[in-house]
Amino acid sequence: MAKSPNILLDPLAIQKAESLGLHARFIVEGYMAGEHKSPFRGFAIEFTQHREYVPGDDTRHLDWKVLGRTDRYYLKQYEQETNYVANILLDGSESMKYGSGSITKLQYGKMMAAVLSYLILHQRDAVAAGVFDTAMRGYVPRTGNLGSIHNIMKVLAEFNPTQQTSIGPVLHELAGQIRRKGMVIIISDLFDDEEKILEGIQHIRFGGSEVIVFHVMDPFELDFPFSGMVEFEGLEAIPQILTRPREIRKSYLQAVEDFRRKIREGCERNNVHYMLVNTGHALHEVISGYLAFRLKTHTR
Amino acid sequence: MFLNPLMLAGLGAVSIPIIIHLLNRRKFERVVWAAMRFVRISVEKNQRRIKIEDMLLLILRCLLLALLALALARPVLRAAAGALGLSKVTAVIVLDNSYSMTQTDGVEPKFEAAKRAADEVIRTMPTGSSVAVLLASDVVHKLIPEPTYDLTLASEQIKEAAVFDRGTNLLEGIKVAMETLSGRPELRKEIYVITDGQAAGWSRMEEIRRVMEDNRREVRAHLLFVGRPEEKNLGIAGLRLDGGVVAVNVPVRLNVRVQNFGKSEANDVNVSIAVDGEPPMDQTTIASIPGGESRSVSLFARMKADGFHTVTAKIDGDHLPADDWRTVALRAVKEVKVLLIDGDPGREARESETFFLRNALRPVPRAQWDEYFVKLTVKTPTELEGIRFEDFDAVMSANVTDFSASVVGQLVNYVRGGGGLVVFVGDNINVNFYNEQLFKRYALLPAGLGQARGDAKAQEQWFSLADKGYEHPIVSIWKDPNAGSLATIRFYRAFDLAPEETGKKPAGDAAPAGEARVILRFADNRPAMMERDWGQGRVVLFSSSADTEWNDLGARAGTFVPLMLRTLGHLVARQDEHLTIGAGNEFAHTPPVEFLNKDAIISKAPRHFSSATKEEVHEAKRVELVNGAPFVQFGGTDFAGPYEIRVEGSAPIRFAVQADPAESNIEALNEAQYRLLGEVGHVVKWAPGAALEETLEKGRVGTELWLPLALIAAVLATMETLLAHWFSKSK
Repeated sequence: MAKSPNILLDPLAIQKAESLGLHARFIVEGYMAGEHKSPFRGFAIEFTQHREYVPGDDTRHLDWKVLGRTDRYYLKQYEQETNYVANILLDGSESMKYGSGSITKLQYGKMMAAVLSYLILHQRDAVAAGVFDTAMRGYVPRTGNLGSIHNIMKVLAEFNPTQQTSIGPVLHELAGQIRRKGMVIIISDLFDDEEKILEGIQHIRFGGSEVIVFHVMDPFELDFPFSGMVEFEGLEAIPQILTRPREIRKSYLQAVEDFRRKIREGCERNNVHYMLVNTGHALHEVISGYLAFRLKTHTR
Repeated sequence: MFLNPLMLAGLGAVSIPIIIHLLNRRKFERVVWAAMRFVRISVEKNQRRIKIEDMLLLILRCLLLALLALALARPVLRAAAGALGLSKVTAVIVLDNSYSMTQTDGVEPKFEAAKRAADEVIRTMPTGSSVAVLLASDVVHKLIPEPTYDLTLASEQIKEAAVFDRGTNLLEGIKVAMETLSGRPELRKEIYVITDGQAAGWSRMEEIRRVMEDNRREVRAHLLFVGRPEEKNLGIAGLRLDGGVVAVNVPVRLNVRVQNFGKSEANDVNVSIAVDGEPPMDQTTIASIPGGESRSVSLFARMKADGFHTVTAKIDGDHLPADDWRTVALRAVKEVKVLLIDGDPGREARESETFFLRNALRPVPRAQWDEYFVKLTVKTPTELEGIRFEDFDAVMSANVTDFSASVVGQLVNYVRGGGGLVVFVGDNINVNFYNEQLFKRYALLPAGLGQARGDAKAQEQWFSLADKGYEHPIVSIWKDPNAGSLATIRFYRAFDLAPEETGKKPAGDAAPAGEARVILRFADNRPAMMERDWGQGRVVLFSSSADTEWNDLGARAGTFVPLMLRTLGHLVARQDEHLTIGAGNEFAHTPPVEFLNKDAIISKAPRHFSSATKEEVHEAKRVELVNGAPFVQFGGTDFAGPYEIRVEGSAPIRFAVQADPAESNIEALNEAQYRLLGEVGHVVKWAPGAALEETLEKGRVGTELWLPLALIAAVLATMETLLAHWFSKSK
């Protein structure tokens, strides 16, 4: 597990992605504003809450009154009305701990979340990032400040999975919280009841937000290249199974394909981008590939 | 039933796949895995199929090993016919090569027919068969000792096989054949005895039947009889020197015994003898020999030079040529030196104890003494100092009181080395010395001296010799009444000759003593003249005196001369007896010193009736020093006839090998005997062109099952490979 949060930012991925930019091509509030430098930068329209200062925060937003009275550093947070908000949700369930190579799905997902956060912040849009399993575990509330990328990475880096996945309820919960249309990016292996996942996605879409599903899978999970006698020890609910994988490979691949088809079709029905992410591929290629795809499909 | 039941232990290998299967279930890789739901779906979908496939493969593998173990154990079905074509045979061919097999039917010898029968037996053998070949005469000669798969080699060997001049003893051949086959793991074991129907070969019928019966379950015996039985056969059953000394240019009498082995009378049988392969020297015609009887004739030969000679007697050829001739080997000498020891020289020559002996041994006028081949030296016992006994061919002692210890020692050594000794008794002898020293201690004498009977002075009373029983070679000429009679000789006094008890084994100083034999008896059957072989030499004891004191023998020149010369000849011949041996015996000879450390070529000319044109025997042997003397030994005497041992620059040594006359008996097995054999074996009276194959095939029952089992195992192995490959394919 990465101890230094900075390593989550794959420099190559960011460099490539920056050149492309992340464009929310759906009609969102402040769409135009999102395309330009915001003229209201730092200008509070509506105060929402206080938050404790963490290093890296812009000192302009320090609540001097509170500092004067209590000697504590609090920031005043405002709801920014320009630009869109991207909610990045990373699946932190135990099944994400699997990795056939040097990197697990979770590590890959963390890097992906960090890179996406950086990109979005970099183009002056706001990001809210969270890690969930059966419920939301670590959450960085909405921020538009590029400096707060550090916070996001810290939360991501420090998370250690212990639980099973339960994506459906988390999505439903999130759908209830989103007050403005924005973007929801789900990074998960989706090893859960596909019906519930699709229901959750539908719920978010119903609120008008764009949803992007990055379906993270390990190359071994996609190819099942085992031979001989193997005992599979489940990371989640299912205990061990002893079998000869070579002999069941075809039906395994079929099962995976069926599952993915269901998700993909569900996503397509709801106008949701579904993207299969093979953790064997380089992250920058995956992200730039997706962004290129977005540009092609939405820039008109 | 299994030919290799030990391999059944291999059935235990059936557990191997099961163990591997169980071990495999314990040996697995552990993988921590996230996408369990897909694995579970696939496993649930495939579990049943995989289990069935596993079971199927396991059963196949177990079955495969079980079949292999069974195939290696070589199961057989005794009853099944060779429908599967697996009827290979392991056989031993016992080919009778005794000399009765030389009998022809006018076209070819039986042995040639036997060879063709053997060849046909080999030809009819199924592919993969193996065969051993034995030649059976009175010995078993292993041509191919262990069954070979090279049937061509077996055929070649049989083609090259030769008839030995030996008798038949098929029991040994059959025994060896059974031993060769016993313990061999093959299913079909067969022996083929190919022989003529000569009854002599089956003389031990009961034992043969027992051996065949004992092995009947395992070994099938085929008895192939070739040729038709012959009604007539004449053979020379004996040829020997008939007494006398073999001297150069002195006629030598040879006794030829011709036997009629047929049932009908044979007339006008011509008998001839020849020396060293030259034209016949003497011949006669026997007017008639009744069936089953024999007639002896005497023929004379003359040796032109000293040294070794072979004399061959021949009769007219018949269908069994091997016994129509017989050879004996002789050694001719230029002179015979005799030492006479006179125990009572008397005052004048006529009174000398050896007077009559001298005249008998040299029966020619004084003027011719120098030319005569017998050279005499007369000494009294006191003159023996400085005499070398070894310089004489024979020593005759007449009425000698006793000998000094040193002379006794010399005499013993002399006889041991091949000397001849004749002892006459008389008034002067010390009976105690003769009995204690010469008889009891050294056993030189063939008998002890008992009571003397008769009175030498009272010559009006006498006793005589028997008028028959002249079997001994020395006296055999008196079988013919024309030669005069020994019974007219008057004996006034003689010692009773008391031989030791029979069966007593001589020991100590007497160890070289041979059996005592009676040469001549008195009318009351008491021995008058006895002999014994002692070491390489021979001793003759006369129970009376050499002069006319105790008998009137000396005065009867017509009897005394031949008796003494034949006795002398008998003593000298002792040294040459080993020159004529029976077929198969070993020839051992001490050649002159010039043979030492040289290669002697031993050879034998081909027999006149043999189809073989090359010399049958041609062998080089090194003459080596054995016990201080040159020694040559030769064992390859399977063929009868004259042999020669030649060393460059020396006169050849000749010896003769004679066949066993019993084999000439052509009496065939009768129908009852054939029936008895038929009970334990498969009797075939084979004639050229007979359908041997069919008769043999009928007997070849039983099938080995290893091949079909191995084939099934191979099919299973292929199935296993294909299925394992198919099953392991991802589904």
